[in-house]
This record gives sequence, structure tokens and C-alpha cells, in this order.
Amino acid sequence: MDIEKRIQELRDRLKYILDIFGPDENANVAMLEAKLGEYVAREPGLPKQEAIRQLETLEELFKFLEKKLERELTPMNKVRIVRHPQRICLKDILENVYDNYTEIGGQDDYSIDPSMLIARAYITRRRGKKVHNQAVMVIGQEKGHGQEFRNGGSVKPWGNAKALHYMKVAETENIPIHTYIFTPGSYPIEDYPGAAQQIAKNLYEMAGLKVPIVAVISEGGSGGAEAIGLADTRIMMSHGYYSVISPEGAAAIEGRLRGGQRADTKLIEHCAKQLKITADDNRANGYIDWKINEPELGARPEHYDFFRKLRKSVISSTDEIVLNVSGLRLFRSIALKRHKGADVYVRWSLNTRAKERLLWTRYMKFRRMAQHAYLDKRHWFNRGSEWTSELFSSLYSYFRYDLFGKQHKKVTELAEDVHAEMQVVVGRSTKLWNAITSRLSFGKDKKDVDKAGLTSLSVWDDGAQNSGKWQYVSPQAKLDRAVPCPNTSVHGCLDQWAPDLFGEWAGVCSFCGHHFPMEYQWYLHNIFDPGSIYELFTEIESTNPLKFEGFDLKLDEAKRKTGHKCGCMTFEARIEGTTVMVAMFMGAFRGGSVGAAEGEKFIRAMERARKKQLPFLSYVHGTAGIRIQEGVNGVIQMPRCTLAVRRYTEAGGLYLVLYDTNSYAGPVASFLGCSPYQFAVRSANIGFAGPGVIKETTGLDIPPNYHNAFQALSRGHIQGIWDRREIRGNLVQSLQTMGGRNLYYR
Amino acid sequence: MKNSSEPKHHKILIANRGEIAIRIMQACRKLGHAFVALFTEPDRHSEHCVLARKLGGEDSLYRVSSYLDANEIFAVADQAGATAIHPGYGFFAEDYRFARRVVQRERKLIFIGPSWQVIRELGDKINTKRLARKLGVPTVPGSDKPVTDDLEAEHIAKSLFDFQKEQGINNPVILVKASAGGGGMGIEEVADLDKFRSTLRRIKNYAKRQFRDEGVLIEQRIFDFNHLEVQVVSDRTGQNPVHFGTRNCSVQSLGHQKRIEVAPGFDPSSLRYAFDARKVLEDITEYSLRMAREAGYDNVGTWEWIVSPTGQPFLMEVNTRIQVENGVSARIATIKGKGDVDLIAEQIRVGLGAPLGYSQKDIALNGVGIEYRIIAEDPDNKFAPWVGRITSFGWPEQEWLKLHSQVPTDREYEIPTDFDPNLALAIIWGKDLAEAKARGVEFLNALKLEGVNASGEALKSNIDFLRRKTETILAF
Amino acid sequence: MIDVKELLRELREEPYEKIVIRAPHSGKVEFVASEPGVRVVGPGGTWKEVPGTLLARLEREQVKRPINAPQKGEVMSLGDVQNGQFVQAGQELMTIRHFLTKEEVIARILRRSLSLFLAPEKGKYYFFPEVDIKIKTKGSQTVHVEDGMELFILSRMKRETSVRYTGPGGIIYAVYFETNDSVDRDAPLIGVCPESQLGQIQEVVSRIQSEWEERD
Repeated sequence: MDIEKRIQELRDRLKYILDIFGPDENANVAMLEAKLGEYVAREPGLPKQEAIRQLETLEELFKFLEKKLERELTPMNKVRIVRHPQRICLKDILENVYDNYTEIGGQDDYSIDPSMLIARAYITRRRGKKVHNQAVMVIGQEKGHGQEFRNGGSVKPWGNAKALHYMKVAETENIPIHTYIFTPGSYPIEDYPGAAQQIAKNLYEMAGLKVPIVAVISEGGSGGAEAIGLADTRIMMSHGYYSVISPEGAAAIEGRLRGGQRADTKLIEHCAKQLKITADDNRANGYIDWKINEPELGARPEHYDFFRKLRKSVISSTDEIVLNVSGLRLFRSIALKRHKGADVYVRWSLNTRAKERLLWTRYMKFRRMAQHAYLDKRHWFNRGSEWTSELFSSLYSYFRYDLFGKQHKKVTELAEDVHAEMQVVVGRSTKLWNAITSRLSFGKDKKDVDKAGLTSLSVWDDGAQNSGKWQYVSPQAKLDRAVPCPNTSVHGCLDQWAPDLFGEWAGVCSFCGHHFPMEYQWYLHNIFDPGSIYELFTEIESTNPLKFEGFDLKLDEAKRKTGHKCGCMTFEARIEGTTVMVAMFMGAFRGGSVGAAEGEKFIRAMERARKKQLPFLSYVHGTAGIRIQEGVNGVIQMPRCTLAVRRYTEAGGLYLVLYDTNSYAGPVASFLGCSPYQFAVRSANIGFAGPGVIKETTGLDIPPNYHNAFQALSRGHIQGIWDRREIRGNLVQSLQTMGGRNLYYR
Repeated sequence: MKNSSEPKHHKILIANRGEIAIRIMQACRKLGHAFVALFTEPDRHSEHCVLARKLGGEDSLYRVSSYLDANEIFAVADQAGATAIHPGYGFFAEDYRFARRVVQRERKLIFIGPSWQVIRELGDKINTKRLARKLGVPTVPGSDKPVTDDLEAEHIAKSLFDFQKEQGINNPVILVKASAGGGGMGIEEVADLDKFRSTLRRIKNYAKRQFRDEGVLIEQRIFDFNHLEVQVVSDRTGQNPVHFGTRNCSVQSLGHQKRIEVAPGFDPSSLRYAFDARKVLEDITEYSLRMAREAGYDNVGTWEWIVSPTGQPFLMEVNTRIQVENGVSARIATIKGKGDVDLIAEQIRVGLGAPLGYSQKDIALNGVGIEYRIIAEDPDNKFAPWVGRITSFGWPEQEWLKLHSQVPTDREYEIPTDFDPNLALAIIWGKDLAEAKARGVEFLNALKLEGVNASGEALKSNIDFLRRKTETILAF
Repeated sequence: MIDVKELLRELREEPYEKIVIRAPHSGKVEFVASEPGVRVVGPGGTWKEVPGTLLARLEREQVKRPINAPQKGEVMSLGDVQNGQFVQAGQELMTIRHFLTKEEVIARILRRSLSLFLAPEKGKYYFFPEVDIKIKTKGSQTVHVEDGMELFILSRMKRETSVRYTGPGGIIYAVYFETNDSVDRDAPLIGVCPESQLGQIQEVVSRIQSEWEERD
């Protein structure tokens, strides 16, 4: 019987190995399969002693080859490991890493979203006789060893909202947060609060969350991972992956597959390798702080050693974060280092000053990331001088707006008050006077009728009345052809002549109001005051940080075609005299995808706007999402840029977002979607994933207008829809009515 | 300004239907040009199709999906090898974009009408009003630009009330209208200055919602006016406009649709007016030509005027097209002593680039013309259109009578419901007003127009209304 | 009395509907499905968002517009048009044979066996509000009509008049018009079935459901 059990165990181990190595040809795997087969066939005929002896040999062979296979693991094998039902899951961690826990808001499938698990847990630490129970908020995706209702850890928007809710609770309770990332990606539906918009909210809130956050990554699938991943310390399990997109997804894009076609395994394997998704890759790129080694071929629930290791890691990480920001930093961290491994008790609650330092440290941590992933070809001297000029301008802005500005404002306010009171007094007396004089006056009032004003030509110098004359005319308006409107079948729109449609009508169907896409130049020239655009950070250039095959060529092509070095143009411009900082994402440059260069430019523009106290506009002429060929260098822009937005709005800035054409995925799910003032140009589409991806990941059929701006407005994702011809007016209106207190023009 | 010293044969695409299409075909024949006519499925039995087949053969007629789809017109024009397009009235006649496309597309055509710049300039009411004021031409008192500022608006409103009182108007009324509006939408009257503010707010909100432009115009409301027109013709030089006299179009339906037009605009020789009617007529023709010269007007057009009971003329708007009632002006005119003037033929001639060839002194006007618009409608029930089948239609021919109609006289005819409801235009001439009126009544009495609708009810028409109104023609 | 057998026999003889595809506007036609016998399908997808089989393209002013099959069936014959020829709006391009489905057969038989009330004039028709509510909430078959009953509102040229139902009393078995669509004169508005014949009609319907064989 014992033999039976042990054979079964070997069978399971083989099955697991087969699952991991899947379709790959592997001599070692084949050998194990053959040997086990042989033994099973032979065993009934063997005497017991011999059977046991041979079994022991076989077990040794398994052990040996598993070690060998471990060294041969490809990135794709690791992807299969983390997706395997036997992979440890959050419930296992709660059971084995924490000393006690209560699940919040979930009992198996009775949960608002069973794929997102929240627990209040504590860790018990003994110092001498004293026992400390240190409370932690544990948040993470739960895959539940393949339980159907867990949806593979693919969290719905409301699941992420639940996570955010309890992060805020942790903040109130002043306890650290441990997040565990076990997700292939978010469930890409738009139902309120919306996949992208909710992730953006999570990022924005985490950017300012005043408690330590430790994130542990097992399966870090893009946006879904970021939803709970913006942490002070990011740990990664050695067999995990952290990627911008699933290797299958990348292969589908690389292979230009459409409509549910499957990429072949070679291409998938190749993409997995190129995307640099393993713990070592991410450690090398600086996107995780350290990695925890797992047992051979990945951690499974029976690997108790691993849980102990994990426990130690999360405790020491939390300690370190706290020590780094609390006043006793130096002394305590020395102590901690000296007694490496020793469990020195550190209190995890933070005082007010420590909280401020925590946020600053978190900001700087992400600010420093991805510096290698873009090009800045300027001489070091120029960079240095930029630094000094920045210093100067921030000093200037301090004096101009903070010191002087505040005094000036006070004086003006006082003067206004006095003036208003005077008005009341004077108004009363003049009224009285008028009443008296009118009563006293006899005969006809002398009436000086302004006859000339009513019958002769008045002065009219209204520049705003453009009546169809635009500064910039689209090249589309130069073709003698009719253009059919996509809504013809619904609204009966007639074909319109291109010069009318793209000229005077600014690409707006005169029958149904459908907005045809226009070049970004149209916006540059027709929205901002003529000649007021001053471009910034032009030296920052997109590159190919992962040496992704064939991407250099594509990138050069994009640069040549657009004349831009990356997909984001940052500039200062005036609009009716008010200077605004603008980051424009251009659909023409690699689909408007966001990588390290785009993110860096965006952050620098944000920082500059904060210093100069300028309102900030993100004009999204189109973005397909994060640039997959940059891998995590791209994904990391989500937290990075969102942190910059947070810092800017907290400083009292006005952050407006205007979506045009198509805006999807990562950027919407972070630094765009976190703005409280998001608008869309009519006929724009806004969402998390396109219909093809939704169909593939959820099996749901998506109605044709699913991502339409009006739908987004109905769902509460955006705050308004603008007609293209009125963007300028609407921006002026927004500048006057929205935004924080520190904009200089107020 | 095309040079056409040698006459060239053109093929003119007629982008219209019904009566005007017929008259353009006839004018083309008269001038020796070929034509291409269009029709839509519901119009297939219309008289203009019958005539097109008769005059130009089967190849001169194309079926299109809609008269309003410019692409259809250009596709047919290219296919048929047309060299020019005549828009008639309505449809594309005053659409400067259409006119621009005609001359700017790769295969260029001639637009028989004013140049697109002129259409654009004079098609904009505010622009027109400002041009008039620039030239000292009287316009309705009030603003001549969109007013957005409330204080300014109130100032204008108050001035307008004072202005009217000063002129002895006891119950002054002003109009507040959305400057981007038109066709009677977004207009309100204010008779009480205290209510101006709320009206202004209402109109501004409406305009902002409807036209995304909260500018308003504030004007004096003029009551009991007469509606006069000046017919202008000029060639492509735009520098030598002449007029063909005035018309009075004051007999209208409830919806301000013209029903009787009379040329000339007043008849001081037989009627007494409270003002110097002769001078008013002279003034408005002079003003109209002054504006035409300034604008470089280069085809036929109509300057529309309102004349107050005290004889003050105000320019309303300019119609940059041939009008339905052009025939009544032509009827009383002679050029260099020659009668039978055809303004549509003139329009085509100068439109294709020929010089005008005469000046104002060559044009003489004599007698009185009356044009009746015969329509199946019920004047007693808010001029409700009558829809059904015409079973019999006929009239005795007279040498003083000219009748234009797309309704056949030899068979039954279903009135199409999709278009404007004119059945026929009858133009009567008399040597003086009395004779014209007598002949008008004679014609109306003899006119036979019968029909039946689906419920078996007899046709309703405005013939009685026209007869009744003939009594008081030109009296003011 | 309804001779269902005879009706069915007639339908079996010609179990299809001919759909004439006409040029929606002027232009040069370029055939895609240019052979008789080609199979075509109508619009598909959950929201009918996938257009039917591309039959031809029509080019006008440098724009090619697709002409798609409106129904499933096969190309029966081509019109008298050459490939690349300029066609006028409304010109016949081809005829598609659409084999009737059970529902369509039922609809046809009902049209011939119910007492139809035809539109007296061209215009837009609406049910009287009370009737409309009843139809929307409980279905048309709960509404009993009588000769002379005020049933419709006719909207024509922005004027509304009421229209009385004339014909035998009974329940409204089928409604043939859509609110907001213009109805031509003499097009059927409703099909009325006297209560006494209701059983018979239902029997016919169930017979077709079981007996009619649909063809592709």
C-alpha cells in the first residue's frame, strides 16, 4: 500500500512537470516519464524489497532531475507555474504566513468579487515575554487553486473598488498593507466603476496612502497587478512573472492576429523571453526590490519552508519601511542590520511626520525608476544647468506665488470687501437721489435716445467668431472626394465633400455630429493662442530598452514618420492669455502607446506645472495603451505618472484630461483616468480593453458602441463630452470654473 | 468673369424639379443649350419629366435618390458631361458650399447663380445688415452683431423702446432672437421692458443649447408692414447691376408664405398712400443697387424690404437666387423696347459668362403684373395642405395670361407630399392696376381645379382666398 | 373559412421570396457576387452589427459604398447591368431568392387569413394611448376591436387626426406597422381575428410550426 501511495505521488509530480513543460520537447521529462512507466509496469512482478529499492532509486532520480529542470526553466515555464492550480494562493499564505486572520466580505463565492480577497490579519512577535500582535490589512487576488468562481484572479472593477475601500480603512487604522498579486490581468469590462477607471482610482489613492505598503508579486499581469501594486517595497517570488501583457497577448499583437486566432507556441515562447518578465529581469531593471527564492519548480501549498521565508520577508520589509521614515531610522536600522535575521520588534504605526516622509520616499522611489529606459542625448553639462535653472525657477515660484502672492491676495481681498461695502452705501443714496429727482422733475424727461447706435454700423472685433475659418486646415480637406459617415444607416447622413467636412466643419458630420478623426496639428493650431506653443523636454527620446526584436526598426519608422522622438509632446501654450502646461499623446506615434520616454516627459511636465503653478491638460489624441515592447519599463509608467499627478493636484493644480479618437488600457487606467476632470471629444472611445481582447478574455460579446464616449459618460467614467469646434471655449470655461487653489491666474 | 466672346454650347444640369425645372429647360432651349434633368421616384410622372423627355430625349433625364444629395447631382453631371449646374430655387440655390464645390472640384463646372463668396457674404443676415449700414442703407433699428453681454443687451433694448416712443409708436415692441437661429426658431417679442431680462435669459439659454452660441439680436418689431422686393440682375463683372423694378409680396399665408405677388410694389398712380410711395420705390431700388455694386453681385438676386405704414423702408435680407415670382417682374419689363423678358434665360446667359449687354436706361417697366400661387390648401383651416389626386385642371388661354405648372392637364395627378405645395403659378398682366385686377378675377373664376382625396373629399384650394385678396392689392 | 391546405400548397410551390436589390444611389457599379446561385447571408451578430454578404460596390464621387445582402438566400438573377457601368438610383442590380422561414410562412398565411385593416392614407400611425399601453404591457392579442372604434391616430404633415377601425370585430392578432415609420396608403395596419376563429388560426400556426421544412 505504501508503494501505491508513493507511486501516486511520483505520478502527481510527473503530471505537474508535464504541465509546466507542456508542449516543449525535453529529454529529462521524457526520461522521467519513461522510467516511471517502466517501473509501474514492472512493479507487480517484483518482490517487495526490490520494489521498494527500485522505487527509492526512482525517487532519487526525480529529485535529481527536478533540480536539473529547475535550472532549465524558461520564462514561459514560469508563466505555466504561476498559472498552475497547485500554485500557492493567497488563502495558503493567510494560513501559513500570518498568525490569525479574518476574511472581510467574502465566503467562497458569496462575495462582491471572489477574485479579490481582503483579510484583517496579524503577525505575532515575541520580544522576551512580551507578545505583540501586529495588525495588517492583507489584500490580494485569490485564484483558489482553480476554483471556477475565482475567475483565475481576474478582478472585476468592483473587486478593485473593494480593495481600495480597505486600503483606506487601513490608513484610518494606521496599519500597514500587505498586497499579494496573483492576477493575469483585470477583467476588462466597463460596468461601473469600470476596469480602467477603478485601477486609476486605486493608483491615485495608493500614491497618497499614509501607511506602509508591501507588495508581493507572484503573477503580475499588467493593469490588474498595478491596481494593488503601488507599494513601498515590492517583493517578487522567484518563479513569478511581472509583465505588461500576457505572452499570448503579446504574440497575438506581434503576429498581427485578429478575431480569436491563436498564436503558435514558438512565438509565444519567444515573446515571453523578450518581454523580460521574470523576477531576475525585473530585479535587474529595478522594478522590484528583491526576490524570494522558491523551492524547485515553484512553491506549492506543501512547501512550509517557503511560507516561513515569505513571512520573514514581509515582516522585515514592513519594518524597514517604517524605520526608514521614522525618526529613529539610523539607530534602528543599524541594529536591524547587525542582527540580520533576528526578529527585532518595530512598531508599525506612523506619526504625522513619518507619514509625510513615507509619501516622499514612495514618490522618489518610483521617480527614479526607468531612467535607463529612455534616451536623453544632451551633454551632462546641459543637464546640470537645467537642474540649476529648475532650482532657480522653484525658488522664484516660491517667492512669486507663495510669499508675495499670498500677501497680495490678502490685500486684494480686503480691498474688494471695502469696495463692496462702499457700493451698498453709495447705491442706496443714489437710488434715493434718483427717486427724488424724478419726482421733482416736471414735464418730459430729457431723453437722449441713442439713435445712431440702433441704426448705424457698430464696431465688431470679435476674433472668437471664426465661422468655419480655422487656423489649420487638415490635408484631408484637399481631396476632391465625398466622405461617407459611419452613422448613415442610423441617421441617414449624406456623403459629405471632404473640403467641406474636413475644412469648415472641422471633421464633424453636419447631419449627425459624428466626429471624424483629425490630425493632432488641428488641435495645436485651433485650440491654443496662435504662436504661443513652447515645446519642452524635446531631448527625451523613445528607445528599445528590452532590445525587443525588430522594434528598433519600427521605432525609427515612427520617428521618421512623425518627426517626433516619442509619442508624447509636452509644451506650454496660452489659451486666451492663460498659460497651460500640456502633455499631448499622439496616436500617430506607435499608436500613442506610452513607454518610458513618454512617462518621463509627462512627469517632468507635471513637475514643471507644479512649480510654475500652471494648469495641466493631458490631450490624448489617441493611445492604444502601454507600449508592450518596453515590457515593465512601460507598465511602471502607470504608478510613476500617477504619483506625479497626485503630487501636482495635492499642490493645488488643475489637471484636465481630454480624450480624442481612441484611448485604451494602461494610461486610462492610471494617470489619465485619475483626473477628476476628464472630458472626451465627441465620437471618442474610452475603455480598458478593445472588443477583441474582451471577447478573448471574458467570452462576452461587446456591442458595437461599447466604448463610446456617451456610454463612458453614462457610466460615470468621464465628466463631459465636448464638440471639437468648442474645445477652446470649453477649456476657457474649465479654467475658470474648475481646479485647485494654487493656480496663479486665480 | 469668364471670357466668352464666341458663344459656346453648354449642357446645363438642372438640379431641381417642378415648375422651375420646366422653366429652366425652356430657357435652355431658347438659348440653344442642352440640359440634363433629374427626378426622384415619386416624381416620375411629374410634368418636368414629361417635358424633359420631349425636349431633350430619354438621355437627358436621370433618376436620383434625392434632390438634396449633392453627390447624386455631381455624379450625374459627370456622367452626362454637363458643363454647368442650375440650382433653381430652394434645394442648393443658396448653399454657398454647393456653389463652391461646383467650381472647386477637380472636374469644374459653372454654377448658374452668384459666385459662392457672394452667396456666403449675403447669405449671412448679420453680414448683410452690416454691409447695408456701412453703405447707409436703412435696416431695422437694433443690433447689427450678436450681443452676448447682458448689460449691453439691456441698453439696446431700452434705447429701442425710447426710440420707438420718440417716433410716436404707442406700444413699442422689440424682438429678441438667437443670432444663430433662423426660420422663426428662438424668437420672442417683448412689449414690456421689465420682462426683457427673463426673455433674454430664455433666448440665450435656448440659443446656447440649440446653436452652441448665446449671441442674440435685438431689433424693433415693425407692425403692419408691406413686403417689397427689388429684382436685381448683374453679369460676372459684378459691377453693372440693373434692377427690374419692385414687387409687392404682402399677401401671405399664416405661415408667412407668399400667395400673391404684384409688380410694381406700389401704385401711386391709382392709389393714395400715407407717404410718398414713388420715392420709397426709388429709394429701395437705389439702395439695392448700391449694395449689389459693393458686394460685387454677379447674377440675379432679390433684395427684400419691409416698408412701415409711415413709409420707412428697412432692408430685410438678400435672396441670392432666382425667385419663384421672377416672372411677374419680367412680365412688366421690356429691354431696349423688347418685351417677353425671361429672367431665367438672362440668369443663364450671364451665369455662363456673357456680358449683360444693356444698362438701366434700356429697361422700361409698364403695366401691372399679378402672380397667383395656386395651392391645394384650406385657407380657413390655417392653410392646412390638402393631399390627394387632382382629377381635372384647366383654364382658358388668354394673351394676358401665362401659367406655369407641373400639373398635367390631360390626366390625373397625385400631389406629391414631400415638396413645396405650389400647383401652379399664374401671371396676369394689365395695362393698369384696375385692368390687372379685373383680369385676375376673370382668370380665377374660369380656372378649373378639381380633385379627390382618399376619404373621398373634394379638393380644397386657395382660389377663393386669392380672389378675395385681389380686391385690396397694393393698397396700404 | 380559411383554406389552409390550399395556402400551404401555394407556398410550397414557391417557397421563397424574391428580393430585388436596387442601386441606392447613382454611381458606377462593381459586382462582387456576380454569379447566379451564389449563397448570401443577411446581417448577423448579436446586434446585427455584422453586415450581410457583400454583393456589389457602388462608386460615386470617389467613394465606394458597399451593397450588402439584406437577407439570407441565393442570387437568382442579375439585372441588366454591366460590371463597371453607371447606374441610376433605383436601378435593378440583382434579385435574391430568400427561402421562407417558418415565421415568415406563418406571417404570410396570417396576412391572408386575418381580416386586415388597411391604412386609409399615407402617414404615420399610432394607437390610441389606452390601446397602446395595453398592447405594450399585455400584447396586442388582448385588445378587442369593434367596427367604428376609434383606434389610430394618423399623423400627417404635422397634423393629427383620429382613424376609426372598420371591419369585423375581434382581437388584434398581428400589428403590421412600427410607430414613427411612415405607412403607405393601403398597407395593412393590423390583422384582426374574430374570437370565433381564434382556435382555427392557432391550429394553423402550430401546424406550420411542425410541418414546414426550412431550406437554407
